Amino acid sequence: MKKRTLIYSLVLLLAVAFAGCKKYLDVNDTPNNPTNVPPSLLLSSGLAGSAFSNANELNRFAAVITDYLTGAGGSPAAYDIYNTNGADFGNQWRFEIYGGALIVYKKMIDAADAVDAKTYSGIGKIMMAYTFSIATDTWGDVPYSEALQGDLELITPRIDAQENIYKGGEGIQSLFDMVREGLADLEMESTSTPGNDDIAYGGDVAAWKKAGNTLLLKFAMQISEREPALAASVINEVLAKGTGAYITTNAGNLGINFGASTGSQNPVYFYIYESSFRNDLIVSSRYVSRLQALDDPRLEKFVTQPDTAGYVTLDNGYRGTLPQPTSNWSRWSTVITGANGVGPVKLLTNAQRAFILAEAELTLPGINLPAGATAQSLYEEGIRASMLDAGLTATEIDNYFAARPDVVTLSGSTEQQVAKIIEQKYIAWTGNGLEAWNDWRRTGYPVLPEHDNAVGVDGTRPVRAQYIDQEVSRNPAFTPSPLPNVKVWWDAN
Amino acid sequence: MKKSLLLWLFMALGVVQALAQTRTITGKITDAKDGAPLPGVTISIKGTNTGTLTGPDGNFRLEAGQDAQALVVSFIGYETQEVSLGNRTNFSLQLKTDTKSLQEIVVTAQGIVRDKRSLGYATQNVTGDELSQKSEPNVLNALAGKVAGVNIVGSSGAPGASTNIFIRGITSFTGNNQPLIVVDGIIFSNDLDATENTLFGSQPANRLADISPESIESINILKGPAAAALYGSRASNGAIVITTKRGQQLTGKTEVTFTSSVNFQQVSGWPKLQNQYGQGINNDFINTTTSSWGPAFGTLDSVTTSWGERVPYRAYPDNVKDFFKTGHIIQNGLQLASGTADNNISLSVSSMFQNGVIPSTKFDRNSIQLAGNKKLENGITFNASINYVRSVQGGVPQGNGGSAAGQLTRIPRSFDLIGMPYQDANKQSIYYNPSQNHPLWSTEHERLTSKVDRVFGNFIIGRDITDWLNVSYRVTADVYTDRRKLFLEIGAARAPTGQVVEDQFFRSELNGDLMIRAHKDNLFTQGLNVSGLLGHNLNQRDFQNSTVFAEELTIPDFQNPSNASVFSQSAEVTERRRLVGYYGQLNFNYKDYLYLELTGRLDQSSTLPKDKNKYFYPAASFSFVPTTAFKLESDVLSYLKVRGAIARVGNDADPYLLQTVFAKAGFGNNLASISFPISVGGGSIPGFQPSTRIGSNTLTPEFTTSYEGGLNIGLFRNRVSLDATYFYTRSSDMIFNVNVSNSSGFDTRTTNVGLMTNKGIELLLNATPVRVSDFSWDVSVNFTRIRNMVKEIAPGIESSAIPGNAFIGIQPSIAVDQPYGVIIGTKFRRNDNGELLVNGATGVYVPGEAGQVIADPNPDWLGGITNTLRYKGLSLSFLVDTRQGGDIYSFGMVDLKNTGALEITAADRDQPRILPGVIEVADKQYIPNNIQISAQTYWGALGGLASEGAVFDATVYRLREISLNYALPSQLLNKTPFGGLSVGLSAHNLLFYAPHFPGDPETNSQGAGNIRGFDYNGAPNVRSYGANLRATF
Repeated sequence: MKKRTLIYSLVLLLAVAFAGCKKYLDVNDTPNNPTNVPPSLLLSSGLAGSAFSNANELNRFAAVITDYLTGAGGSPAAYDIYNTNGADFGNQWRFEIYGGALIVYKKMIDAADAVDAKTYSGIGKIMMAYTFSIATDTWGDVPYSEALQGDLELITPRIDAQENIYKGGEGIQSLFDMVREGLADLEMESTSTPGNDDIAYGGDVAAWKKAGNTLLLKFAMQISEREPALAASVINEVLAKGTGAYITTNAGNLGINFGASTGSQNPVYFYIYESSFRNDLIVSSRYVSRLQALDDPRLEKFVTQPDTAGYVTLDNGYRGTLPQPTSNWSRWSTVITGANGVGPVKLLTNAQRAFILAEAELTLPGINLPAGATAQSLYEEGIRASMLDAGLTATEIDNYFAARPDVVTLSGSTEQQVAKIIEQKYIAWTGNGLEAWNDWRRTGYPVLPEHDNAVGVDGTRPVRAQYIDQEVSRNPAFTPSPLPNVKVWWDAN
Repeated sequence: MKKSLLLWLFMALGVVQALAQTRTITGKITDAKDGAPLPGVTISIKGTNTGTLTGPDGNFRLEAGQDAQALVVSFIGYETQEVSLGNRTNFSLQLKTDTKSLQEIVVTAQGIVRDKRSLGYATQNVTGDELSQKSEPNVLNALAGKVAGVNIVGSSGAPGASTNIFIRGITSFTGNNQPLIVVDGIIFSNDLDATENTLFGSQPANRLADISPESIESINILKGPAAAALYGSRASNGAIVITTKRGQQLTGKTEVTFTSSVNFQQVSGWPKLQNQYGQGINNDFINTTTSSWGPAFGTLDSVTTSWGERVPYRAYPDNVKDFFKTGHIIQNGLQLASGTADNNISLSVSSMFQNGVIPSTKFDRNSIQLAGNKKLENGITFNASINYVRSVQGGVPQGNGGSAAGQLTRIPRSFDLIGMPYQDANKQSIYYNPSQNHPLWSTEHERLTSKVDRVFGNFIIGRDITDWLNVSYRVTADVYTDRRKLFLEIGAARAPTGQVVEDQFFRSELNGDLMIRAHKDNLFTQGLNVSGLLGHNLNQRDFQNSTVFAEELTIPDFQNPSNASVFSQSAEVTERRRLVGYYGQLNFNYKDYLYLELTGRLDQSSTLPKDKNKYFYPAASFSFVPTTAFKLESDVLSYLKVRGAIARVGNDADPYLLQTVFAKAGFGNNLASISFPISVGGGSIPGFQPSTRIGSNTLTPEFTTSYEGGLNIGLFRNRVSLDATYFYTRSSDMIFNVNVSNSSGFDTRTTNVGLMTNKGIELLLNATPVRVSDFSWDVSVNFTRIRNMVKEIAPGIESSAIPGNAFIGIQPSIAVDQPYGVIIGTKFRRNDNGELLVNGATGVYVPGEAGQVIADPNPDWLGGITNTLRYKGLSLSFLVDTRQGGDIYSFGMVDLKNTGALEITAADRDQPRILPGVIEVADKQYIPNNIQISAQTYWGALGGLASEGAVFDATVYRLREISLNYALPSQLLNKTPFGGLSVGLSAHNLLFYAPHFPGDPETNSQGAGNIRGFDYNGAPNVRSYGANLRATF
């Protein structure tokens, strides 16, 4: 009897054990990570990601090959003799662009659309277009229409042609349309709007609309050599919205703000002042000579001069002994990096807008500039905007204009005028190598003599980056990459 | 229960009084076969450590307490006899040859006690005597070199540093490959938690360090999945089953055992350095360089330091050696045990204090155990133990660059490391290299302290329902917290603004096991004994890690987060996993010569997709003893067993792999980085991003299938015995984060992939070559050879990084058709004949080729020989072992070579030299290199970091252990309160010889885990030696 009771209770115990299992085992939802986050937590990281995409390693590469900086060691020294291959920029592609800003914007747009937070969707689309443009301008044909869907079983996205990325194609939304869709979202009611999570504009929606329209101008200019008519029509589309529709003040610049404390600083600052790689970069002698030849007052604003004897710089491609001590080296000043690295990292500027319109007026058919504007007035506007941004006073700027009318006046052939515009644009873009590299590839200006000891593929400046090794090995859509001496689609000549 | 335990304790104390009176027992032991006297037979009083050996004439004499009840007479190759004493004082006994071989009882999976001859798989038993009093406070280190099939490598000689152990190789790409540890039935965490990056951090303990070797009765190593399958998933790596000393062998008496030892430690394996040339480059003195390529001593009288002091220019031969101190280990233990096998109680306390050879490093361990068991009259049995351990570890950061160990390989030969002040009045470092810290400053101002409070215990209640059926329930718990503080003072090279990290770990594992056991003799047919087991297991494992990461300190030496202003890397992680298991085992024993064992386990895991979370895995093994079956025993062939086993073990996933989640955002690396929340414009801005890993809700368990076959042979009345095993394991469908195209927005996707195999041979040979009166010589030899091969990773993937910290370009990897863990880095370029290519213009090697396999950390084979010589109460034992082959990747040696500090770099330094290799003069046409280069260029060219030049053959021979013990004869102890007293001397790691490496290659600076074979400027190894004492009352 007693035995039987015991056996029965054992059976019961086992039965309870079986029955209790389902709940007992239901403990696999992670408490450590959210599976959904509101758009506001993605806007800040997306913007920071775009800033890193633009201002980290790709910027160091572009700033070295466009003669702003000289590589004194490490990878910058390799770039300085035009050496780059598929081992470069892996982190940029993987963790700043596709696996960084872009996937963040994708998730932010999805999250925002789900709750009709249209302002977030709008900003997301504008910034997604901007960040995709970094990818295609750097690597040419890249994954676009099928990208960013790894969690939807699309783990080997196809490659879209740069032409289709900019212009649109079968099942491919153009970058222009992506921006337009973003602008349309910004016109709609939104259930929530950004505040200080918007580390660019602090939630100023009007400023974002201007940035979106200015981005259309940038895209149009980028493809203008290949598609002049399309470029002109996009520019006229923006101009038709009136001067209030795009960036016309330095305060309206699209700049991503960082902080002064450890772990919050912008990458340009951290690399040249804090990292253990800080002595891999020095300001290029060519850059200093260029500005000195123009008596440009921005030089002393942009470049430090710790050595009382003058600028300590190096020629691009120089392979000799480095100047010592490194503490005397000329580096970017706080005008470029912000005090203690607060930034901002500038992505779209007032000066850029003025130079684009000036160039468009000269090179594209039927541009309808605002009343009273001319290529010359826009050229001057660009220079003034840049000089103001660099911290020069109005008087100092007037004095420079009075002293160097040859510099601030457009003259000669269209080609010569374009050369002047782009050279000034190059100076205005100091600190942003990618934009200068884009313009140089597109126009050939400013004129950049080849570096000493150049190697590269054939001794010429890289005009694209090679696909990263990881992507080639992981995605069968990637056939062997075009080498860095092969031009991208919009680089017609 | 509590009351009766107390009562026992009082009774036990009372019994001590009875010990004073003794009587003398004499007798003679002869061989039952021919009546010849047997010398060297062990006679002991049952339940005590008191005993003696027979003399050359077979006679013995022994003092026994009045309460002594029985004698145990044992001799290798003969059946052990037990005779009750009664009032007799003289015995003549005949011993019979043991036909059952060494009837060795072993504890197998789930605490099941088995006769070893019935096992169809390999296990190896190590007794507590082989581990205790050996100058080594870590159980795993004390096991090294003693067990076939097992590979044990310590991280370094730093106190408490973790130790890697693999049984029969590595079976999972990314999972935990360490064996399961079971202590008295308690699943015991041997986890290793890292506070710092493992490339740079101090070396925390893995938590088996919480067990004192002195407390161990025996360890049984279950080598393969077949042996351990009842324990479930984690058994695919084998299991280490530890039984602590519990006094269950006592026969109603009380025994107090006291052990004590003191040991000293000295740095070992520091390479020989040159003393002819001082700090500088190209024969010029330069006061900030790490190099010793400066002028020869005698050419300069004095030089100016980097801080402007004028000092003599001379060699400081012991500048690095003098940095190290003599460490010491003091261990004490007291155990009180009383009772009989059915009713007993024991209380043990032990303490260990260790100070390491590096200043301010230590490991202290204090523990207490209370255990007992009781059988009630109604047949219900209780068995319980509770243990509390407190371990405190003090370590200093190690690794390349900004750490003491990272600087010690970069000290110029003319730098007076110990003789000059190392810090100024503001406690800031004074050092030749202003961007680094003086090593003494580092050890004083940078440290990681870990305080572990650990409680583990079990409670078992059981009852015999009938004479053939027993039911029991066992609850076990193992819970600990590890409260850590990492402090880096303002001015530390790695954190110039200072850092305080409060890092708290919590781990807990609870298990409940219902076990129903049945046993029937002569079931169905005469001679067929059957036993069976049905079990049910509930398992829960919890983990929590909360970290306050405080940066930018203001007040010097104020080690509190309130001193900081940036906290953005603070974090918390919680994990919980549960498992329900059902298991069963059936054993058949036919006439003690044919055995069959069938095992099955069904697990249901919380970490797998809900609809597919059940998985079953079976095992089968047999053993056959022809010597018994066919009556083949002879004086030559005493025993032969043939065995085989097949097993499959399933393994579940880690928690939370099924979902794709978001994580706190961050961008960049050490070139430039931000970590959310970031402070912008005075506000703290949070930010998230999708994690880089795509979750999968179609995960299935990974499986390891193992096959093994073996032989056990006993020769010459089992004076020689051989245990040989061949095994083959195949791991497939491993849960792995496979790389995906990054333009998909993600980096990896968790999925089931891959195929990896291990095959190997294990040999264990025991022999007693000499056994005469008073003297015996025992030899134990073990041999291990394992070949691991990664056969497939995932479609289209040729290699993949092993998760963990790695330097860029020096990647521990899994690669197809390579053994697990090869290091992928930059290889020298060679021509088709394998000759090194030299640049015809410079005379140094042409740039290497990245992405190549440059090192394989897996040894070719391991072997160990233990010799034990006994003469009367004196015993001398020494273990010599070797690791053959396998590579070590060493930053330290690259430093010492490149900086011209190593002794060999001074030989003929003023003579030009030529690198071995060839120069390509035309396409595929080579001439031998004939370009002369300086010694500095030569040694620099032989390998920088991240290249093949940093790889060395790790072959090493070692006198791992030597111990001399003397047990005082019982006659001497008669008038004392001691039942037994022994004193001894021991040493660990006394000598080694590494033919291809200037230091000690047995190191693993990244700590226990799947990444092996690196010497990234970790702490050096140590040799230990000391004296010990054991007394029983």
